[in-house]
Amino acid sequence: MISSRLKVALAVSVFLAFSSAPAWAQMPSKMDADSAAIKQCVAAWEDAWNRHDAHATAAAYVEDGEFSSTTGIPSKGSKDLEAHYNEIFTTFLKDAHRTDSVRSIRFLTPEIASVDIDWQMTGARTRDGKDAPNRKGLLTWIVTKHSGQWMITIYHESVF
Amino acid sequence: MISFTSKAGLAVLLFLTFSVASSRAQMASNRDADTAAIKQFVANFADAWNSHDAHAVAMHYVEDGDFSSVKAEPSHGRKELEDHYTTIFTTFLKNAHTTDTVRSIRFLAPDLANVDIDWLVTEPSAPGGVLRKGLLTWVLSKRNGQWMIVIYHEQSF
Repeated sequence: MISSRLKVALAVSVFLAFSSAPAWAQMPSKMDADSAAIKQCVAAWEDAWNRHDAHATAAAYVEDGEFSSTTGIPSKGSKDLEAHYNEIFTTFLKDAHRTDSVRSIRFLTPEIASVDIDWQMTGARTRDGKDAPNRKGLLTWIVTKHSGQWMITIYHESVF
Repeated sequence: MISFTSKAGLAVLLFLTFSVASSRAQMASNRDADTAAIKQFVANFADAWNSHDAHAVAMHYVEDGDFSSVKAEPSHGRKELEDHYTTIFTTFLKNAHTTDTVRSIRFLAPDLANVDIDWLVTEPSAPGGVLRKGLLTWVLSKRNGQWMIVIYHEQSF
């Protein structure tokens, strides 16, 4: 005959097993949702870039976001970033089109992630207006989550 | 005449003011100490690299660290990392020397930082002696008081 104390203990352990199971399942599903949201953030940025909308491109960054070019030239903060994108969209990249494809995401905390993105570009010109060869390389972003929205904190790009 | 209650209130206020000020000062000095520790870590990495000690270089990464080359070829985890460094140190970089200079540090959290490092690799047979120059971008994490590489990217220009 099972004592009532044992019954209570059994009930508690069954309850704990079932209530902790969703918590376990929750973690990967949150990460999946965040991975999907980060991919969406990359796609929206790519779209803004391809519309040559400097304001929308810069608005994907946090207020004090940092960009570094393929030659390590920095732009920092919304105002500088928008000025940078304005300049490239009205000069040597005015007919350029890019394709970005997320290669990997590594979560550093639940709200900070490093994202590697393969990029390709067609239609670029040299600074003196001649056709430039197609370019490809890797974007490396640090993205952070603010009020549910993933944004670019640090942007690096390499070309190879 | 100031009542006992207001004296006590004043004492509490003074105490709070001083403790906020000292915790702010503490945070700033922790950050200075971390900045110095990160610069020292970068210097130690360059030393290990210049000794062409693949094991010591790989030990600067966390166990599941990620490296990505100038062509974005990845190595993941200490074993692959050590193999990668053994390959480069016994082949095309066996006479190479690196000079790494910290350009900027951005703390993402108290124990997490992004570090940009100007990078110059010299090699006697390279044109002008310079094999590569560019930028290293590291994500560092502080584990048991020690900063280590979580993610390493490099770009050459």
